[in-house]
Amino acid sequence: MTVDEGEPFGVWLGRQLRRRGVSQAELAKELDVTRAAVSAWITGRAEPRLEKIELIERFLGLSSGASVTRAELSDSADSLGWYHRPAHRDGGRELGNAAAYAFDSDLAVLAREATQNSLDERFDPERPVRVRYVLHELTGERLHRFLKALHWDDLRDHLHAAADPLRKTGRILRNGLQDLAEKDSLVLLRIDDYNASGLTGPEYGDGRFAAVVRRQLDSHKSTTAGGSFGLGKATLWASSRFGLVMMHSTLSETYEGQRERRLIGRLDLPWHELGDQQYAGPAWLGVPDRERDGTSRSWWADERTVEELYLSRGSDEPGTSFLVVGAYDAATEGGDLETMHENLVRGVADNFWASMIAGRDSAPMLEATVESLRNTTTVRPEERVDPHRHQPSRSRAVRAFLNGETVERITDAEAVLQKTVPLTVPPLKGRREAFEHEAVLLVTPMADGEEERPNRLVCMRGTRMIVMDRAVGEVVGTPPFQAVLLAGLAVGESEENAAAEAFLRTAEPPDHNDWKQTDDLTATYARGAATRLREFRQAMITMARAAARPSEGPPDEVPEALRGLLDLDPPQPNPAPKHPTVKSLTGEVRPDGAWQIRAVVRLPEGVDPWIMRPALRFGTLSGGGLPAGWAELEPESGCEVVEGRLRFTPGARTAAFRGVSDVASHPVAANLAIAEVDLVRGESAP
Amino acid sequence: MKRLFPYAVLAGEVGLEVLRARLDDVPIEFSMISAAQRTVALHEVERERWGTATLTVRVRLPKRELADGPWTNVACAAIVSERRTNVRAHVPLEQDEPGVWLGEVTLHRERHVNKAELIAQVSATVDEIDSRLIGRSEASWTIDLLATTPTKKDGIRTEWVDFGGEGAVHLDLFRSDPWFVEAVGEEPTLYLNKRFEGIEAILRSDRAVDRPAQNALASQIAQEVWTVLFTSVIRGLPKDDQGRPEWPGGWQESTLRKMLPDVLPDYSLTDALAEIVAREDGAGGDLHARVAHAAAVQARRTRHLGNFLRAFRRKAQEEEQ
Repeated sequence: MTVDEGEPFGVWLGRQLRRRGVSQAELAKELDVTRAAVSAWITGRAEPRLEKIELIERFLGLSSGASVTRAELSDSADSLGWYHRPAHRDGGRELGNAAAYAFDSDLAVLAREATQNSLDERFDPERPVRVRYVLHELTGERLHRFLKALHWDDLRDHLHAAADPLRKTGRILRNGLQDLAEKDSLVLLRIDDYNASGLTGPEYGDGRFAAVVRRQLDSHKSTTAGGSFGLGKATLWASSRFGLVMMHSTLSETYEGQRERRLIGRLDLPWHELGDQQYAGPAWLGVPDRERDGTSRSWWADERTVEELYLSRGSDEPGTSFLVVGAYDAATEGGDLETMHENLVRGVADNFWASMIAGRDSAPMLEATVESLRNTTTVRPEERVDPHRHQPSRSRAVRAFLNGETVERITDAEAVLQKTVPLTVPPLKGRREAFEHEAVLLVTPMADGEEERPNRLVCMRGTRMIVMDRAVGEVVGTPPFQAVLLAGLAVGESEENAAAEAFLRTAEPPDHNDWKQTDDLTATYARGAATRLREFRQAMITMARAAARPSEGPPDEVPEALRGLLDLDPPQPNPAPKHPTVKSLTGEVRPDGAWQIRAVVRLPEGVDPWIMRPALRFGTLSGGGLPAGWAELEPESGCEVVEGRLRFTPGARTAAFRGVSDVASHPVAANLAIAEVDLVRGESAP
Repeated sequence: MKRLFPYAVLAGEVGLEVLRARLDDVPIEFSMISAAQRTVALHEVERERWGTATLTVRVRLPKRELADGPWTNVACAAIVSERRTNVRAHVPLEQDEPGVWLGEVTLHRERHVNKAELIAQVSATVDEIDSRLIGRSEASWTIDLLATTPTKKDGIRTEWVDFGGEGAVHLDLFRSDPWFVEAVGEEPTLYLNKRFEGIEAILRSDRAVDRPAQNALASQIAQEVWTVLFTSVIRGLPKDDQGRPEWPGGWQESTLRKMLPDVLPDYSLTDALAEIVAREDGAGGDLHARVAHAAAVQARRTRHLGNFLRAFRRKAQEEEQ
């Protein structure tokens, strides 16, 4: 248990009383002092004598000396319970989480939103934030132990009551409950981040904890990155069939004198009725807070509870673990672990490949892994999402920028061209000065065999999350390329870059997938902001096209109309030639040195019988080959052998024959040459 | 034609790329290297004189197949050749990482004339025999020493010339013709007569209304080109010592491969080649008619002439009204 050095005794004592639900008057009576004395201790106006301290420790069930080290008792797992918010007195009903409807609830979207939050909450800016996705399917005894730890019995009736098949959320819930009952299996998705701030701050007041656990649409904008835990956190609940997410946080700054194992669960159900009680929907798993009518508040858990809830963290680094209970992928109608695993990898790679790129002297902003388990069996081992594998050309471009290895002229399949795209950042309302931000444009030839669409421009700012993916269009006479635009703090740290970053962030809709006029933009910036954005958007495409275009050559002499009519490129092979062809050829050299061959022949449509000679040649790489003879020729189907030729059955579409070469006729030993078999007309066997 | 190897060869693809090129140590624009067209254009305007071109090439081999297969002592090489000068250079590559081989190929300007071919070959020890060919790049790259853009221009050269003008004495005889096809030498050439009124105007027009006439004219020119090419090719076919025709290579072979399937559709290419020679020698009746048909297919006569006639009649009707 971490001790916050220098915490006043009174603050500590006040917290212990609150946590046990003991009033100052009760303590005063127990210690036989006045209430005023207790009050003076708690407010720090006085300190109790040693003997009173011992009595206090004994009364609170703490070991002797606990008050000196400001020790805490873990909250007892026995006192845990679900608190279901009663329905509004005015009869209002929320039948679903509005924020959740703003997103497609597939796992790729969840990966985008959750990873973005982690990036925004990066704690030590010199080191990457590490995000780890673990899919874990539980069955049998493990599942039952987990459900018990979750106090599932307190939930079951509420879940059933809310599973109204007439509504979308209700149907998902009902299917989830049905699957759990029938298949006896449940998928957990845990999202851990390390080197992140963690859910800091008070239980109910402003702070990260309340922004995530207590509030909707609170994006807790005090951080420099801004906008974390906004709308996007709804995707966590939307990815659970039960709307149930457990949280375990290691805090970057102490709260109540503690940092580790702050736990709470939140359930997002629609309005429902159970017995004669009506419930608003949301519920929290925690310890009862007497000061707030038994509302559940977060608790400092012991290690065993953390383990039972599958919330163990890999280190004591600050950060949060979100456990999505009953994770499913709406995009694939549930989907198996493998598909879910793939979608998570794709979601992280597509949106954050750039954040995961390290320069020679700079760490990446983000490292991400995905792993899948079924009970104790590994389904897919922990896999590091590698940007260079998913986005080879663009990753190369960003790395070259970080390493200062960009060029002014592309002479190389892996060269990265760097240009500047101006963005006029308008002044904030009431200020005067606009300034010009220099965004960085990178253009590089597309990697061989890359499956991305060619000639695209992706745009990003500080966190290097992809905001936009735009078509640049084909540039005639240019090999396919990829372009990347870095704006705001992605260009580097400076006051102006930060101001440009803020401008562009304001121009992003809640999905953070565009730079356009938003209400926020109109409210914050001087007139003309929308025009500046339009110019910027246009300039980046124009610049990308110009950068990709090669220097001009002399005009071609060939008139356009003649161009396609005079080329000597080999024609496409005819898939249905009007003559017999060897469709497949297999064989081997026998120990006696003869080729043993089987050939399948494709015959054209028609009724006339074809008579062809199977010609065997010993080929060379370039020449026409030297003829060799057959020792045996044997029809297999669709043909007969007549005097060394094949007579194909009229009307047959395929035929097969076998042959053994005549060793005496070989121009060289069989194992030294390539064998070729062709069907020819004309003269009989030589 | 299907082939069998008497030993294990690679089934997976051998990929060949040109990463960059330098002319006398000065890099050329990457846009002069086209992976899609598998072509490198080495002619930079204002840099006509250069001695050596150095290409950095990378070969990718099917890594897993190689690791699991029976091959040892795997080696990879790039081979540059030009048919016209009979130059062939074998450049061993070095393994960069498993399955990836790198190397630099140097072309000497004076050893090449026009277009060099670049391929990759993989060899290995198989069944205790060293240096057996176990794979090669599927498609070759063309290193075009004269081109300024990396477009695969394996076509017929076209030139605008004032027939009978200065420097075109060889065309003086045809001064009243709209065009002339020269089907000899390394590269067949179509000369278009600038002196012939209207032809340049129509062929270079970008007005939509001229399009039908433009295409019909182009089609007629093309049909004549293909007829001349084919006829001249079969006259000069090389023969083996038993008098059987051989594939001639170059544009001559390309012409045959393009047209023979339409000249003799129910013959395989090999049989068609022999049959053409037999009929040519015996002056077989319908051969010339078949060649005319095949040339018309290349020239897309049916479509272009059809469109022209439709447009022509529509215009005539409009004028009547």
